[in-house]
Parts: sequence; structure tokens; C-alpha cells
Amino acid sequence: MTLVALLAVPLLAAAFNAFPRGRRAMEVVHFVSAVMMLVLSLVVAGQVLRYGSISWASGFFYVDYLSGLVVLLTGVIYFPAALYAIGYLRHDVLEDAGDEDLSAAQVRKYYALTPLFGFCMFLVPMANNLGVMWVAVEGTTLASILLVTYYGRSTSLEAAWKYAIIGGVGLSLAFFGTVLTYYAAHHGQGQDSMEALNWSFLIQHAAQFDRQASRLAFILVLLGYGTKLGLAPMHTWKPDAYSEAPVPVTALMAAGVLNCAVYALARFHVLIAGCLGTAFGSQLLILFGLLSVGIAVPFILVQRNLRRLLAYSSIDHAGIMVMGLGFGGALGAMGVLLHMTFHSVLKPLLFFCAGNIQQARGSDALGRGAIGLLRTMPLSAPLMLMGVIAVTGTPPFSMFQSEFTILRAGFAAHEFAASILLVLFLVAIFCGFFFHVSQLVLGPAPAAPQNPEPTDFENDRWKTLPVVALSVVAIVLAFWLPSPLYDLISGAARILEVRP
Amino acid sequence: MSFWNDPQFGDRIITLMAALVLVLQITMVGQRWLITNIRLFGVQSFLLAAIAITIAYFNRAPHLFAAAALTLVLKAIVVPIGLERLVSKIEIRQEIEPFVNIPLSILISGMLTLLGYVVAESFHRPDEPVGPATLGHNTLAVAISLFLIGFFMMVNRRKALSQVLALLSLENGLFLAAISLTYGLPLIVEVGVFFDVLVAALVLAILIFRIQEQFDSMDVSRLRRLRG
Repeated sequence: MTLVALLAVPLLAAAFNAFPRGRRAMEVVHFVSAVMMLVLSLVVAGQVLRYGSISWASGFFYVDYLSGLVVLLTGVIYFPAALYAIGYLRHDVLEDAGDEDLSAAQVRKYYALTPLFGFCMFLVPMANNLGVMWVAVEGTTLASILLVTYYGRSTSLEAAWKYAIIGGVGLSLAFFGTVLTYYAAHHGQGQDSMEALNWSFLIQHAAQFDRQASRLAFILVLLGYGTKLGLAPMHTWKPDAYSEAPVPVTALMAAGVLNCAVYALARFHVLIAGCLGTAFGSQLLILFGLLSVGIAVPFILVQRNLRRLLAYSSIDHAGIMVMGLGFGGALGAMGVLLHMTFHSVLKPLLFFCAGNIQQARGSDALGRGAIGLLRTMPLSAPLMLMGVIAVTGTPPFSMFQSEFTILRAGFAAHEFAASILLVLFLVAIFCGFFFHVSQLVLGPAPAAPQNPEPTDFENDRWKTLPVVALSVVAIVLAFWLPSPLYDLISGAARILEVRP
Repeated sequence: MSFWNDPQFGDRIITLMAALVLVLQITMVGQRWLITNIRLFGVQSFLLAAIAITIAYFNRAPHLFAAAALTLVLKAIVVPIGLERLVSKIEIRQEIEPFVNIPLSILISGMLTLLGYVVAESFHRPDEPVGPATLGHNTLAVAISLFLIGFFMMVNRRKALSQVLALLSLENGLFLAAISLTYGLPLIVEVGVFFDVLVAALVLAILIFRIQEQFDSMDVSRLRRLRG
């Protein structure tokens, strides 16, 4: 029942906000629904820990440890994004107070579409049927395209167009892959039973799959969900969409949708490896993962825009996770899931800080010269620096641990060349990131303060509270992983672990 | 055994219609006018629905009738009419200006068809007896060709609306693959997929409308301010 409630809450919130309401009413609904989603996702995770797996509607919804982890992370990402959105959008409305009708319509669009976006993100891990899962992933794209055009600038239309077209082609490939998986499983003996495309059903019969069709299916699914993940060379929509969408949407896309895409890819990887063995899929995953991490390096080093910088970091982390999936084994599976967990905390934190900085400065360019923000933004600026240190995998922060686990998995799998290249790329990314952000934060402050009351920017609790809360979580996770969370992650890792 | 129960007869009908679908796709590549292109797409979707009905009839797969009905209503009627409305509403120049000229485009489409047959060959099992279960397997090559040609059309066109049309015909290829390989996915999946197609068409139409407003043009090759 909690599963249905978790899906019903965002739908109801979207339905409520779809009609003209006062701004306050929409904010209240948005906030309350986010709290309910957080609580319900915690309950779902608790139930998974207790019963192992839960299913509803004769297996239509099926949540095991792996799905439970993704559901939990989605709830954890959605809640601070909802808090942040309230402050962020209020600031936006104040900024361009000229056209009131337009901004009211925009705000309504945000509050109506974001819960739908959340609904699709919750549906992805809950759907047992691989076809329904595809529909949900496509739903996340459709719900977010119009959010990318939120500001209606010519550049946001350009970003949305690229996102729609590249995403559309990518997902059609994923659909072709899903159809071929179905064919591989049933050898063309189609049947209308719901079960025929259920993951929990297919995994038991993976060994009897048609090998030829499975191979083609995996390539198509990798290209398809890889587009959604932003794996190179299908990553080009990502920096554009991330730099044009409103910041809370970007945070949801960078952390929530990324998890969904990794999840979808992981499900297929486990399934196809059950038929073809690990070697085939792993090589492809390592190749695409390494390519993504590698392609992010030059763009991070010469980047001139803060949010595009974070977008390339997201491509880099997608690559790391896919490589971990490819390295496989107990270590690889554990590393991927730890990385996913830590990334879900750190990426929204960074985007929220970037949003605060952008709204305060009126621009998200990374310039040279006097832009030291430490004095003008005593909260967001240092926390941004901390987030950057954490997200580049510096000890003592938790991401060091997950990246180290993935590297160990790489060496354990005798993928020496790939592992060493990964280390080199990570070092380069650390340098680029640290160079840009330290200049932004620690550089000399402008001689005459641009704004007479610098601390004004840090007064809005809606905008600072999510940043502080996520920072606290990030620091706590660096030293202590709560044991229920550890149990959830290691249970999920057992599902991911592909035995040769 | 009368011919309407004969699976070989069904097989031939399906092959014939699949060939027509492919011909229509190549006609779309060679066609200059947007409105004609939209109507060709409508006819292609109609033929797809007919293929689905034939497979459903000879295989006794009743859920495929539902998929066929959805294709007929959405892709053969609703989407073409909506697109034509959009074209007349935004009063664009109704000519498609591809990057590669038309004779060369058709040649490339021919080669992509060949590629489709090569890929589909690995799924072909000549030793299996002809029966209801093997119906429509040779349409897989057509489906892959549709997919590849649709992909080529997307890359080759610069107007937003003609790109969307290419994306939709690419999806027709997917649908053909789905019905010829598996006789339709479970019904709930079909319904979800069609819902997605409808919403996608709507979202893209809104996007096109706004691009047209902002740039006074649908030429997406002008969208190149975001770099690096």
C-alpha cells in the first residue's frame, strides 16, 4: 500500500497545482507532498529491510533491495529540492517583477510539472515490468523538457530542443532493446501475460535467452539508457540542459534521473549477463564509462560556466558508476551503489550552492579576477568549496571511499589499463575543479562591494537550509554509514553482483 | 483449407504491406513538401495498423487488435491532423531543405535498407517450418531499415517540424519491429508507449511553436549558441 501512496502523492500534488491557485497554496502543497514523499520512501526502505522485497498488484510493482535504495535516494533528493525551489522561485519572481501574469504562469508550470517528474522517478525503480520501466524513464524526459524551457530564453529553447531530440532517439533505442530482450526471452512466442516482461520473471530464465538477440539488445539498451545517463558520446545535451533549467530541476535531473538511468542499465546488465556471461557487457560498460570520464576532463579544465562545470562533473560520475558496473564482482557492485548514494547527496548540494551564487551575482560565469565570494556569501561559498572537495573524491569525504572501492574492483578484475587511466582522469578533474572553484570562492574580493548589504543573499532560509542540511549529511556520511543504510546497500549489491 | 486461414497467405500479405511501408519511407526521403510528408506518414501508420491486424488475426493474439486500434487512431489520424494544423498555424515555408540533395539521399536510404537486411539476417531461421509462429519474421529487416532511414532523415533535415516527422517515422520502425518479433508487447506496455508518443508529440509541438516565435524560423541549425 505504501507503494501506491508514494505514487499517488505526487500525482495529487500535480493535479492540484495544475489549476490556477495562489502562490502560497501551491507552495504549501509542494512542501507537504515533498515531506510525505520523504516519509513514504523511508517507510518503503524500512519495509524492504524487514521483508526482503515487497510487491503489489500481483507483481506489477516490485521493490527489492536495489529498487528500495533508489526509491529512498529519490525521496532524499526530492525533499531538499522542493524546499530549495520555494526560495529560488520567490527570488526569481522578485527579480523580474515586471510581468506578473507571465511569472505566475511560470511558477504554476514549475509546481505542476515537478511532481509529475517526481512521480516518474519513483515509478522507474518500482515497476517490475521492463516495458513500464521504459515508459517511466521516457516520462521523466517528457516532464522535464518543458521545465528546461522555464525561462523562455532563446538558449533555453535550444537546450530543450537538443534534450528532446537526443533523448527521444536515445530512448527509442532503449525501447528497441527492450523489445529484443522480450524476443530473446520468448523466442517469438509472444504472450499477453503481464509477467512475460517482468524482471523478476525474466531473471529466472536468463540462461535460456536467445544469445544473438541478447547481445544486440544489450548494445541498444546501453546506447539508449546511456543517452539518458549522459555517457559519451551521447552526452551533448547534458551541459545545455543543466545550465538552462531552473536550479532545483537541474538537481533533480543530475541526481534523481541519473540514479534511475543507472538503475535501468544495471537491471539489464544483470539480466543479459545471466545469458551471455559477464565478459560481453562488462567490456562495453568499461569502454563507455572510461570514454565519459575522459571526455569530461578537457571540458572541466577550460570551463567558463559554473553550472556547465557541474554538468561535466555529472558526466564524469555517470562514467565512474558505469565503469564500476563493468568491473563487477562484489567490490564493483558495492562501489557503484555507495557512489550512487554519496553522489545523490553531493550533487544537489553543489547545484544549490551554485544556484545561490548565481542568483546573488546575477550570472553563473566562471571569470578570472576579483570575484572572491567568501566575504559576500559566508555560507554558500565555503560549503560550495567543501562540496567540490568532497565530489572530486578527496578524503576524508565518503566519495573517496566509493571511488577507491571501484578502483579496487578494477584491479581485482585485472582491468589495469582502464583503472590507471581512471585514476589519471580523476586527478585531472580534481585539479580543474579545484582551480575554478577556489578562484570563485577564495579569490580576492572586489574592492568596492557590489552590493551594500552582502549578507542579504544568505537570509532566505528556504535557500540556505537545504544547503546546510545536505552538508551535514555529507559530513556525517564521511565518517559514519548508518547500519540500516549499509544493510540496504549491501543487499542491493548482492542483486547487482553478477556471478560468472 | 481456404486462403484466409492459410498462414502462408497471411505471410505474403504482411510482406507486401511491409514493403509498401518501406517504399513510403523512401518516398518521404525524396519528398520536398512538408504537408505531403505528413500525409505520407499518416498512410504509413495506417499500413502499420493493417499489419498489426493481420498478425493479430492469423496468430489469434487479441491484444494486438488493441495496439492496432491505438496506432490507427493516434498515429494515422490524431498526430497527422495535429501537425497539419500546426503547419497552417505558424505559416512556415513549406519546403523541406535537406542537407544532402535528394538523389543522394535516396541512394543512402537504399544502402541503409541493405544494411537492415544484413542485420536482420542473423535472426532468420530458414529451417523453421512456416506456421503461425513465424508469421511476419521477414518484416524485421524492413523494421530495421525504417529505423535507420528515420535516423538518417533526422540528421539530414534542418527544420524542427521535419525532424519531428523523422522521429515519428523512426518510431514506426520500432513498432513494426515490436509486432513482427514479438506479436506485441503486453497490453499495458503498449498503452504506456502510445501515451508517451502522444505526449511527446504534444511537447515537441509546443517546443516548435515557441522556437518559431522566438527565432522567426524553424531552422534548428541556427540553434548553436550553447557550446563547450
